[in-house]
Amino acid sequence: MSVGASYVRELQNFWAARLKSKSELYEAGKDLAHLNSAYQLEVLENQSLKQEVDRLEALLGLPARPEYKYEIARVVTRDFNSWWQHFEIRKGSRHGIPVGAPVVFSGGVVGRIREVHEYTSTVELLSNSHLRMAVVIEGDNRPMSFRGAGFKIFRSPTGLAEYVPNDISISDPSNPPRIVTSGMGGVFPAGLHIGYLQRLRPGASGMFQDGDVHLEERLSNLTEVAVLIAIKEGME
Amino acid sequence: MNTENTKKYQSRLWIFYAILGLLLVILYSGLFFRQLIESESHAAKEKIQNQRRILTPGPRGNLLDREGRVLVANKSKFSAVVFLSENQVQKAFSDSYRSMVRDYRERGEKIKSYSELRILSRANVLQSYLKGVNELIGRHEEVDATAITRHLNVNPLLPYPLIDNLAPEEFAVLLESLPVESPVQVYVSNMRHYPYENAATHALGYVGYSPLEVQSDMPGSELKTFATKGTYGRNGIEKRFDEQLQGKTGSEIWVVDPSGYQVESVQREYPRKGRDIELSIDIDLQLAGEAGYDLYGDKGALVAIDIDRMEVLAMLSRPDYNLNQTTPFISNKVFKEISDNQAWENKALRGLYPPGSPFKLITAIAGLKAGKIDDNTIFECDGSHRVGGRNFPCMGRHGEIDLRTAIEKSCNEYFYRVGLETGVDNLSREAIYLRLNEPTHIDLPNETRGMLTPSREWKKTRFGEPWYPGDTANMSIGQGALIVTPLQMALMVASVAKNQVYSHPSILKQSPEQLARRPAPKPLGLPENLHKAIIDGMNRVVSPTGTARAAIIKGVNIGGKTGTAQINKKDGNLELAWFVGFAPIEDPKIAVVALVEGQELNVSFGGGRYAAPMARYVLEAYFDKHPEYVNTQEATTTAALP
Repeated sequence: MSVGASYVRELQNFWAARLKSKSELYEAGKDLAHLNSAYQLEVLENQSLKQEVDRLEALLGLPARPEYKYEIARVVTRDFNSWWQHFEIRKGSRHGIPVGAPVVFSGGVVGRIREVHEYTSTVELLSNSHLRMAVVIEGDNRPMSFRGAGFKIFRSPTGLAEYVPNDISISDPSNPPRIVTSGMGGVFPAGLHIGYLQRLRPGASGMFQDGDVHLEERLSNLTEVAVLIAIKEGME
Repeated sequence: MNTENTKKYQSRLWIFYAILGLLLVILYSGLFFRQLIESESHAAKEKIQNQRRILTPGPRGNLLDREGRVLVANKSKFSAVVFLSENQVQKAFSDSYRSMVRDYRERGEKIKSYSELRILSRANVLQSYLKGVNELIGRHEEVDATAITRHLNVNPLLPYPLIDNLAPEEFAVLLESLPVESPVQVYVSNMRHYPYENAATHALGYVGYSPLEVQSDMPGSELKTFATKGTYGRNGIEKRFDEQLQGKTGSEIWVVDPSGYQVESVQREYPRKGRDIELSIDIDLQLAGEAGYDLYGDKGALVAIDIDRMEVLAMLSRPDYNLNQTTPFISNKVFKEISDNQAWENKALRGLYPPGSPFKLITAIAGLKAGKIDDNTIFECDGSHRVGGRNFPCMGRHGEIDLRTAIEKSCNEYFYRVGLETGVDNLSREAIYLRLNEPTHIDLPNETRGMLTPSREWKKTRFGEPWYPGDTANMSIGQGALIVTPLQMALMVASVAKNQVYSHPSILKQSPEQLARRPAPKPLGLPENLHKAIIDGMNRVVSPTGTARAAIIKGVNIGGKTGTAQINKKDGNLELAWFVGFAPIEDPKIAVVALVEGQELNVSFGGGRYAAPMARYVLEAYFDKHPEYVNTQEATTTAALP
C-alpha cells in the first residue's frame, strides 16, 4: 500500500513540475543565485571580521596598566615624508584623548598625540625628529635620550639614542641591547618597547656614546593603535 | 665751423679719454690687488670677525684598582640650560627691555641706568624660563642677575645654566616635557666621581677647575675662543698623572652674527677621554684597612705593600674626607672643615714620626753586622740602664735575655746595650743603608724630604754639640731626633723580611716588562742564621705571648714588631702606636705598617692594642684572596685570638 502511495506522489510531483512555466523556473533560479551571492558576501565579511578580531586581540594583548585606560583607535590617514611622520586616528576629544598622550600597539610605542580634534587626533610617530623621550636599555636604570631620526623610503624607521653610557657595547649584533621607555619622564609608562640599539659612536661630550636605534618596521603600516589615557585619582 | 670745433674738442677728448683710461687702470689694478693679491688676508680677517671657537674639555681617564675596579670615574652632570643665541631668546630679551622702558615712560619715571634695566630685563626673561622648569620638576630656584651679566660678558656662546646637577628623574622629565625646539634644553657636562668616597682619599687625590689649556694643533687657533673650564689634578694620583689622565679637548667653530651669537656650526672635533690608569691598590685591602682604622684609630696612617712587586696595595691617612665633596668644586664650608680637621695631609708619606721600637730591628741588624752581638748574645735587663748619669728605663725587668726574646718582649735595655756597643756611626750607617734618610721616591706627589737619621756630624752642624752616649741610647730604641714616614717603615720591614733593601715603591700596577726592568734590590748583608734570629724574634711578637698577638691570623706565620713612640709636647708626651709586620714568614709577600697617633697627652697608647689589630684586617683580606699561602692544617690547630 505504502509503495503504491509513494509512486503516486512522485507522479504528482513530476506533472506539477512539468506544468510550471519556464519563466517561473528562471525566476526561481535567479532567486537562488542572489541567495548564493549574499551568502558568499557574508562569508567574505566574516573573514574580514575575523581578521579584525585577530588584530584587535593582538592589540589588546598589551600588558594591563591599572593607571591607564586603553582607547583603541583606527588609523585613517598617514602623512609620512622626510621632514615629519604623522598619522590621524579616528578618535578625538569626544573620546577623552588628551594632547601628549602616549600611543602604543602590541609592538611597543607608536608615538605621542600631537593635536586633538573633536573626532580625530594627530599622532606624532616615534621616528619623527621632534619626538623625544627618556629611555633606558633593558636591565639598566640610567636614563638616556631618544629622538626620532626619520623615515627613509624602502628603509626601516630609525631613531637616535643619545647619552648612551660608555660601558654599553653591542657585543652580539644578533642580540643587540633593547631600548625601552624609562618611565621616569612622566609621559610614557616604563618598559614599553622602542627598538634595538644598532650602531654606537662617540658622543659630542666625550662622556657618552650616540647610537642608532632600529625601530619596529610595522610602524609604517599600522591600522589600529591604542592611546594610553592616564586615569586620574577619583576617576573610574 | 663744426669740423673745426670738433677738431678743437677732439684733442681735449683724447686727454679726457686718457685720464678716464688711467682711472680705469687704477681702479682695475686696485680691484685686482684687493681681489687676488689681498684676498687671503681679507678672508682671514673676515673669518676672525665672523667666526668663534668653542672648546670642550675631554673627560679625564678613570683610575682603576689592580683588578680593574673603578676607583675614580667621571660622572655626568646634567643641567637645564638656556641657549642665549636662540632667536626667540634674543627677541624675548629685546621685548622685555622695550616693555620695561615703556612702563617707566608711562609712569613718568626717569630711567637711572639703561644698562641696569637691560640686565634686569634679561634676568626677567631667564626667570620666566626657570619658572617653567621649576614647575616641571618641582623646584624653587631663582636666577642671579649678576651671574647672567658675567656669563654674557665672558662666555656668550656657551649655554647659561638655569639649574645644575639634575637628578636622573629630573633629567628624564625635562627630556620628555621640553619641546625639541625650545631654547631651554638639557645639557651634559662631567665631573669627577669617587665611588668609594673616603677610601684612599690622599692617594687618589682630587681635581680642581681651571681655564682650558689650548693645544696648538687644534683648528681655529687664530679665532676668538670660548672655553668651558677644564680640570687639573691638585693632589695624589690625579696630580702626578695629570698629563695621562687629561682628555683631548674638543673644538667647534661657529659662524656668529654681529652680536656674537651662534648662527651655524662649520667645524667640529669631538673631545676624547683621557687614558685610564691601573693602580696597584687593591680596593678589598684598602677597605679592610679603612674598616680596621674606623675601629682602632682616628689619626695616623696605614700602608700595605706587595713586597715582590714593590707595589702599594693599600694606603690610607687619617683624618680623611669624602672625595665626592671636592667635586664639582670645594665649597668654602667643606674646605674649612677639611682644613680644621687637618685632613689635607697624606700622613703615609708626609707624616714624620719617631719610629720607636720597630727601629730596634735596625739596631739589631747594625749590631749583628758590626759583630758586636750574635744570635746568642745575652744581656741582663734589670729595668733600666744608666748612661751618662741618667737612667734609661725599660718597660719591664726581663732578666737574662737573648736577641729573639728581646725582640719579642721589646726590651729597651737589651737594645740600649746593643746600640751603645755598636755605636752611633754604625747605627746611622745602617739606617742610611736602609734608606731611612731619604724619600722613597714613590710615584706620588709631595712626599716629604724632612726625614732625618741623626749622626755625629748632623748634631755638630745643627746644634754645635758633640754626640753623647745618651743620644745613642735614645736612637737605639727609635727615639731622639730620628724621624721617618710610615711609608719608609713599610719599606724597612719589607727589607728586613727579605734580607734585601727595597726602595722606589710604585702605586701603579707594574707590567711584566716594568718589573723586569726594575733594578735588583741590594742585599741587606746579614748571614742567614743571623737574619733568621731576627725573623724568629719578629715571629714571636705575633704569637700568643707576643705584643702583637692581636695580629695573629690562623694558618699564617706573621712577623712583626710593635712600638710605642713618644712625641714631646709642651705639656707632656703624646704617644704613637706602631705596628710593622710582614707575612708569610716562609716567603714574605706582604708588608704592613700601621701608625696611630694618640689623642691625649700622657696617655699610654700601645702598638699591640691599637695598631696591630688594624693591620690584621688588611692581612686577613690579603690571605682571603691568597689561600695558597695559608697553612690550612695549622689554621685549624692554632690557638684562638686573645
